[in-house]
Amino acid sequence: MSHNQVTIEIIFPSELGYEKIARDAIGTLARNMGFDAERVEDLRTALSEACINAIEHGNQRQAHLRIHITCTISRNRLVIVVSDEGLRFHPSTRLDPASMEQKLAGLASARGMGLMLIGQLVDECGFLPSRPGQGNHFRLAMYNPPRRSATNIA
Amino acid sequence: MIDDELKVGTRQRDGVWIIDLEGDVTTFAEDAITSAYEKVTAEGAKYIVINSRQSDYINSAGIAILIGVVTEVNRQAQKLAISGLSAHFQKIFRMVGLAQYADIYAGEDEAVAALQKLVQAV
Repeated sequence: MSHNQVTIEIIFPSELGYEKIARDAIGTLARNMGFDAERVEDLRTALSEACINAIEHGNQRQAHLRIHITCTISRNRLVIVVSDEGLRFHPSTRLDPASMEQKLAGLASARGMGLMLIGQLVDECGFLPSRPGQGNHFRLAMYNPPRRSATNIA
Repeated sequence: MIDDELKVGTRQRDGVWIIDLEGDVTTFAEDAITSAYEKVTAEGAKYIVINSRQSDYINSAGIAILIGVVTEVNRQAQKLAISGLSAHFQKIFRMVGLAQYADIYAGEDEAVAALQKLVQAV
């Protein structure tokens, strides 16, 4: 690790609600890095959704399993990896959920918007390669200034 | 465990029913929001404002609950507006497409005024 790069780790049980701790901590970091208020809110929401996916889908809400968040800060970039303990492998990202019309008609679940939201709120996002049973690792990154042209890596 | 429990209140204002939400709008809010909606519907509400007050945390599970309310509003031929969202959550509601199905206003007064025009037009 170079002297101008800092890594912070947060670990919490797979219980909904704990993601707020990560959200608040990372939001504070982003604010201190100089991200504007809107981008901080975007990051807070994106991170919350990533944590919820890890809790609900990765660890299937088994509280004894952990969510690991690794946040690497460099001069103009904040990279976060949200990892679960991988009871269920994410085969792919889903950035194109059912339409709101389908949801309102009862033709699709009202859930399933998290990855789409994350994809719109951060500069880069996607699952890192992993094998079934080795945990799911979802990476999201934001730059200051933003790199909105960046594509999802999944 | 550390969820900020949602406080939900209902009241009537000039022919419009208000459902006040104060706290986190997450998966834990489902019973409270659904019960409040069912209560005002049982009272005969045709025009409803969901008024978010100091809701700092609304996640996709919370939005899903509101989608359920919008679905019922459409079935019941009611009219729904949403007020009090921060600029960030207004953006989120637009991103998920919910803003196309429920008018969103910055404040309660604007939302009530808009629905009152519909009340008076009946």
